Amino acid sequence: MRLRGLVALVWAAAVFGASLPVDAQAPGPIRIGASLSLTGTYAKLGNYQHEGYKLCAKQVNDKGGLLGRKVEFVVYDDQSTPATGVRLYEKLITEDKVDAVVGPYSSPITEAVANVTEKYKKVMVTPLAATTSIFKRPPDKKRHYIFMVISPAEVYLEGLIDMAAKRGLKTVAIVNEDTLFSKAAASGAADLAKKKGMQVVFQEGYPKGNQDFSALLTKIRAANPDVLAASTYFDDAVAITRQMKELNLNPKMYGITVGGDLPEFYDLLKQNAEYIYGATQWEATLPYPGNKEFAEAYTKEFGREPVYHSAAGYAGCVIYLDAVKRAGTLDADRVREVLLRLETKTAFGDFNVDQDGFQVAHKMVMTQWQGGKKVIVWPDDLAQAKPRFPMPAWNQR
Amino acid sequence: MNVVITPVMIGQVIISGILVGTLYSMVALGLALIFGVMRVINVAHGPLLMLGAYATYFLYSAFGLNPYLTVPITMLLLFVVGVVLQRTLVFRVVGAPELASLLLTFGISIALVNLAQLAFTSDLRAVEYLTGSYIVGPFAFSKSRLIAFVFAAAVSGLAFLFLQRTKLGKAIRATSQSREVAMVCGIDVDRIHLFTFGLATALAAAGGALIAVIVAIQPEMGGVWTFKSFLVIVLGGAGNYPGALLGGMLLGLVEQLASLFLTTQLSEVVAYLLLVLVLLVRPTGLFGGRQT
Repeated sequence: MRLRGLVALVWAAAVFGASLPVDAQAPGPIRIGASLSLTGTYAKLGNYQHEGYKLCAKQVNDKGGLLGRKVEFVVYDDQSTPATGVRLYEKLITEDKVDAVVGPYSSPITEAVANVTEKYKKVMVTPLAATTSIFKRPPDKKRHYIFMVISPAEVYLEGLIDMAAKRGLKTVAIVNEDTLFSKAAASGAADLAKKKGMQVVFQEGYPKGNQDFSALLTKIRAANPDVLAASTYFDDAVAITRQMKELNLNPKMYGITVGGDLPEFYDLLKQNAEYIYGATQWEATLPYPGNKEFAEAYTKEFGREPVYHSAAGYAGCVIYLDAVKRAGTLDADRVREVLLRLETKTAFGDFNVDQDGFQVAHKMVMTQWQGGKKVIVWPDDLAQAKPRFPMPAWNQR
Repeated sequence: MNVVITPVMIGQVIISGILVGTLYSMVALGLALIFGVMRVINVAHGPLLMLGAYATYFLYSAFGLNPYLTVPITMLLLFVVGVVLQRTLVFRVVGAPELASLLLTFGISIALVNLAQLAFTSDLRAVEYLTGSYIVGPFAFSKSRLIAFVFAAAVSGLAFLFLQRTKLGKAIRATSQSREVAMVCGIDVDRIHLFTFGLATALAAAGGALIAVIVAIQPEMGGVWTFKSFLVIVLGGAGNYPGALLGGMLLGLVEQLASLFLTTQLSEVVAYLLLVLVLLVRPTGLFGGRQT
């Protein structure tokens, strides 16, 4: 009895004795702050991004952490408003004294909080800001510490234009919601079309929330373009598609920026979604390193499949932590140096930025609905199938 | 960059304008009724239309009903909702200063939209029942809009006949002309109010049911219909029921033609400029003021 007790004591002392000094030496976890849109307009997408961050932290910790420390996220809800985001980043940096920050959801909120993170010289990798003007700024207003992860708005429709040009199509009509992102995507498409020798025969914006496209589409029908490029969000993409059918508007190709890749798009439009091209930053089926594993781990962890917002959030976190690891320190200036030179490929695809932190390597892909399935059709090296071309007339299906 | 406008295009947008204008007329007739009879501007008219759209959506998706068969059911359901709203809330502000009724119905409208967001979520829903169009020569007649046009014309026509011919309809018009005199003549004004609010809500619901087949729906879809209905009754002359019908048609045409000749962005500007112009030049509405 006594002997066994003694053995137990010795054993316990050995275990604790061995571990105690290590605990005493190890500093606390690396705390990374962010505000995310967990409620409000962007809630759906902000939550996907949050899950991306969470999975990234979990995986790093499972592998022993970073610089010998655990990684821990401090996340607040900015209710999808830029002003709240600004307040929260101030709080994270000055009150919570987090070791690092990563970006919020959406361009407007990123644009607002970037002023705070710049003021305190904090490196911020911003996984879900696609607006060029956040990064490309006049010389006296340059930002030095923010880094873009996703492709900019201007290249959303590059795939559509490229496929059209390769098939010898000559004319394109462009419509866009009259807001920051959609306008940028539309003007990007127009520039690309002209560069490829195509003619933009019609271009017009429409107000946010518009549901009646009859007159607009009547004009497009008269212009009779080979390609219709629509720079949309989700609701308007659905309305335009339905009214194209109503007016029997039949371009040879029809592509949209946002919404066309979502499963809900097909749920709502059923077989009318066939042949429609959608642009996306990422798909679970893309052959990027670790992508399959990411999608599986994500589905296991959260019980739902990731969308590109999840993958971008995940990749943003991975890239930042990778840069810290390479720099061997959390020091903002040294991490910045690493990020500016970093050329890497994550589950989300390529990452490489120019001197403004502007993303230059990441590639968009175009999908098309084929027989109820979303299939990647562009670029050629990633395509899973040939695009079904041309789009048959609505009344001949 | 921009296209040359041809007569065919003008014809096409006139078709679109008339088709959608009839819907405007029917929905606005409801708003005009409430305003005429009770002097209440019902800001919740659009959100009630939204409830009608959801009623049709659920009857279609859960019970597999033909969406056009749901129109009378939806109207009846929302008639009851209207009566309950009148009975519990709106009757309190009849005869009160107009600001009181605005505040109350504004509150109802916010409550309805938020309840709908909680109950139905903000996801888009669609009744994918009838898409595409009938092609006649160079013109396309959207199937769902054409049927909506027929329904709206029939419902508005019936409502109009009801107001003109039946005893109850005459009582409604009498109340609208003068509440006091109607009371003196032995009309139960409170009952008329109840019925009017129910009928007006049913008209909005019919609009919602038909719209659900045309566009995808979501809880915030109603707001724009409140504004459009308001615009229509100002154009047509507040309290003037035939005026509301003509006003709806006019708004549909103006919107479509403005989008054709200008841009979609400017078409709303034109519609509201028209509103300002009418208020300045002919404040009683294009088709005269209160007359029944």
